[in-house]
Amino acid sequence: MSGKIKNWLKIRIGIEELIKTQLTGYMVPGNINIFYTLGFVALAAFISQIITGFFLLIYYVPHSDHAFRSVQDIMNKAPYGWLFRQMHAVGSNLMAAIVILHMFSVFFMGSYKKPREMTWVAGLLMLLITFTFCLSGYLLSWSQLSYWATTIVTAMPTAFPYVGEFITRMLRGGEAVSGTTLNRFFALHVTFLPLFLLTFLATHLFLVRRIGISSPPFGKSGEGRQSWTEYRHESHTEGYPFYPFFVQKEMLMTAAYFAVMFFIISFLPALFLPEDANTPADPLKTPAHIKPEWYFLAPYQMLKIIPNKLLGISIQIILVMLFILWPFFDTKKEENILKRHLLLALFILSVIAWIALTIWGRYS
Amino acid sequence: MNRRRFLISFLGLLGTTVLVSFVYPLVRFLAPPGGEAKGKKVVIKRSEIPAGSAKDIVVDNIPSIVINVPDKGFIALSRVCTHLGCLVEYDKIKKRLLCPCHAGVYDLEGKVVSGPPPKPLQKFVLRVVGEDIVIG
Repeated sequence: MSGKIKNWLKIRIGIEELIKTQLTGYMVPGNINIFYTLGFVALAAFISQIITGFFLLIYYVPHSDHAFRSVQDIMNKAPYGWLFRQMHAVGSNLMAAIVILHMFSVFFMGSYKKPREMTWVAGLLMLLITFTFCLSGYLLSWSQLSYWATTIVTAMPTAFPYVGEFITRMLRGGEAVSGTTLNRFFALHVTFLPLFLLTFLATHLFLVRRIGISSPPFGKSGEGRQSWTEYRHESHTEGYPFYPFFVQKEMLMTAAYFAVMFFIISFLPALFLPEDANTPADPLKTPAHIKPEWYFLAPYQMLKIIPNKLLGISIQIILVMLFILWPFFDTKKEENILKRHLLLALFILSVIAWIALTIWGRYS
Repeated sequence: MNRRRFLISFLGLLGTTVLVSFVYPLVRFLAPPGGEAKGKKVVIKRSEIPAGSAKDIVVDNIPSIVINVPDKGFIALSRVCTHLGCLVEYDKIKKRLLCPCHAGVYDLEGKVVSGPPPKPLQKFVLRVVGEDIVIG
């Protein structure tokens, strides 16, 4: 039976040739490591978010009078609703973590360098879209935490003279966060953002395939060390086949990802759903000691310690832009960060600063 | 300019015009419609706010507070923190208005004492008419 299907597909789409060029004949570097699977894990996480998101849409009501109740009903009344909601909520946090880890590992491996500048930029834009996904999805539960986190973030543009107030009004659909904001964020979360993410994802994957997977700068030296004066595909003829060698690694890491997710759902169910996330939004009461999600704690703390709002937000925008455009500033040929002490020190300091601000923000 | 260049320029101009003609309606579509009722007065009883205490109210859809400051009388302020829009809370003991989000501190006249807020809290016009306090 399988032979018949195979033959049917062979005649119509040339399946054997496709498998050979895209899987068994597609080579990855011999010294590739486990960190190179993080991109695939992020993709698996995104697919999981799409599927669980579709299920949640069946019960969710995007209206300020019903949103909180409908989410509570998903958790308490809909059979296994808690499972899909928890998978979506925990998954959003884990996906953010995986995308951040992927970015760190790509930076550490120097894989953003020529000719992969566009791959890096597309990846960083996907990171920003992931954060926007998290933020817009956050409001949909219409809880105290989500309401006030959205109030803070949508107030950020007011730091800019002339256009700031207008941008904030446009984001909110009025003076304050309201049912109109909920409608806007819902539309953003379920239509615009998936479209944007899929567009950048397609670009990112096309570039990875077109240029070839980058090889770690440590150990072996291969064709990646040659200078790039014209386009060529980095084919890694001395490496291993993508399938089954690398796919096995990717499956292992994806399994680990879901193991962590289900561990949190089973043993730490309130980790990402604190009390304020289960209290209905009250536009007349800001909860005491409100904190954003862990991935926004560093910018939150930075805003707290920088006395000028415009300065605080401008510094953050400049840092993000600098990071996105980093491959165009760092044009040195050496990819091995261990041989570039200044860059290594900058990398370590940046990571320490980010962790320190996150911890400070959490306990301040 | 030859015919080819003219046509390319013309197409570019046409494309830009089409794009701009869609951008304007889009911005208007996304911008919230105005016309929210403003200037409505709020009336509360003096007896509701003894000296040193405060009452939360809503003026023109803005969460606000009326404080009875000892020796100074009543004052009506917006509760919306000028930093990033969280609502300040009245601390009776410290005699301060505190923002729970980024630790902004205001005095009872709405002036910034410490923290990141860039300007004082919005003040509302307040009149005491007999036993009533009229705000707005």
